[in-house]
Amino acid sequence: MDDLYWHLVDFLQAFAAGLLVGGTYGLMCVGLGIIFGVMRVVNFAHGDFMMLGMYAAFYLVTGFGVLAFLGPYAGPIAGAVLAGPIVFAIGWLLHKFLISRVTGARVVAAEAEGHYAQIILTLGIALVLANGGLILFGSTPLSVQTPLSRESWEIGPVFLNQARAVGFIMAVICALGLYLFLTRTNLGKALRAAADNPTAAAYVGIDVDRAHRLAFGLGVGITGVAGGLFAMSQSFQPYIGFDFVIVMYAGVVLGGMGSILGAFWGGLTIGLVQQMSTLILPYQLQNTAIFVVFLVIVFFRPQGMFGRVWERT
Amino acid sequence: MLKIRSLEVAYGGLHALNGVSLEVERGEFVAVVGPNGAGKTTLFKTISGIVTPLAGAITYMERDLLAVAPAERAQLGIAHVPEGRQVFASMTVMENLEMGAYTRKGQQRWSETLPMILALFPILAERRAQLAGTLSGGEQQMLAIGRGLASAPELLMLDEPSMGLAPAIVDAIFERIHHIHRNGLTILLVEQRVAEALETCDRGYVLETGRVAMEGTHKTLMADERVRRAYLGM
Ligand SMILES: Nc1ncnc2c1ncn2[C@@H]1O[C@H](COP(=O)(O)OP(=O)(O)OP(=O)(O)O)[C@@H](O)[C@H]1O
Ligand SMILES: [Mg+2]
Repeated sequence: MDDLYWHLVDFLQAFAAGLLVGGTYGLMCVGLGIIFGVMRVVNFAHGDFMMLGMYAAFYLVTGFGVLAFLGPYAGPIAGAVLAGPIVFAIGWLLHKFLISRVTGARVVAAEAEGHYAQIILTLGIALVLANGGLILFGSTPLSVQTPLSRESWEIGPVFLNQARAVGFIMAVICALGLYLFLTRTNLGKALRAAADNPTAAAYVGIDVDRAHRLAFGLGVGITGVAGGLFAMSQSFQPYIGFDFVIVMYAGVVLGGMGSILGAFWGGLTIGLVQQMSTLILPYQLQNTAIFVVFLVIVFFRPQGMFGRVWERT
Repeated sequence: MLKIRSLEVAYGGLHALNGVSLEVERGEFVAVVGPNGAGKTTLFKTISGIVTPLAGAITYMERDLLAVAPAERAQLGIAHVPEGRQVFASMTVMENLEMGAYTRKGQQRWSETLPMILALFPILAERRAQLAGTLSGGEQQMLAIGRGLASAPELLMLDEPSMGLAPAIVDAIFERIHHIHRNGLTILLVEQRVAEALETCDRGYVLETGRVAMEGTHKTLMADERVRRAYLGM
């Protein structure tokens, strides 16, 4: 009986840990979901924008201490949120000068909608960002210091790491905010329309280039926020993007291409699988477990959990 | 209202329009007919700013339209209902109409235009929450026209609204277009269905390999021997 009780506690603990880390993954996936799921742009540098968000938060909070006046609790959270606009600006500029050459109305008629060129270009950007990060930031693993990461809330026998729990709550708020922006506001709908059909969007008076740039900045910015939140409970170095980018793509596809809430669920599922797999599998097999679940879900539901099917006209 | 002078357009080295001139007066219903590849869609794309001409001039309501950015042209009251419908497939019927009303005027007039559009095409009211990509071809065409009307335009440009539709649906759509025109909207229509187009229009142009081969009122064109033989099969 005692044995069963402790199994149950282990299970609940792993579930809670998966949920909390999954929230941050969910937010990362939402950012990629805008770019890959909605705009159908392949961005292999997405993980590196997350890395930039982590360093932005780090320098705002610990490095330069701009946010030190907010104290050790609010400071790191504000740092994560402010990483958003910083990464947004970087993404906006990269889109304006590089990525717009291989995306949007210019290439819809090109072979595979310009995806080949996008893969090469964004892989190049990924390498530049990761190596540039190495030169600028060094290779020593860092993390955003907050007392939250050493404290826990106890719910019965289950411990919730406070940094992760706060990250989870912020991630849910950001993802929900973004969802409401894209589905309820005119500008948000215009971004979706410009992604769906650039030509028709131009005919109704949407400035398509601007819309694409905004959407791209928003996508990487949101992932930057997720990076900043994640940095409170996870150490990072300039190459961390590579570890995350494939998982993010899995999350977006799992949730269903084009669905923002789906991308969040996709990321959440990945967090849950990753943490709960440790109950029965060795630690090294976490990522294998993720992809086994991924393949199973895609086998039964190729359109993803929340994907809706329509013919492209 | 719309004056086009000696428009030259080329894709790469290939000329699609060779000195096309055309006029639309306020309140008129003008049809442009012609065979495949004549340059009809190119003409529309040039008016909307998707294609930039080599030479020629377009004035719209006394303004040099070529100096206006493409996204701003919708703001001036030009609504383009493109060939092949081009609805926002991943968005709902309602969202498509809302995007039609993206212009300032569309926003201001939304409370009047929406009921008007839904009265014109009741099926859109029934399907308001459905994804546009899952509508039938005829429904998509009605949505594309509704989206054009949602901007509360001065000039409605329709590119082959009959494309790929069954004859009964084509008749219904032409009847609706006629109705929209009777309510005072200026219409520029491109069609391959010459008989239907010439029957409903006030004036028409026959475009052949990038040139205006003939122009005239509805009556002169319908009576013209060449038009009757080449396009009306009489
Ligand atoms: N993007 C493009 N690139 C190269 N050539 C083009 C392009 N678009 C059109 N053309 C060419 O320009 C000419 C006119 O095409 P356009 O689409 O304007 O014809 P259309 O009158 O609308 O024909 P249809 O009745 O079949 O729609 C054609 O010869 C076509 O092949
Ligand atoms: Mg055409």
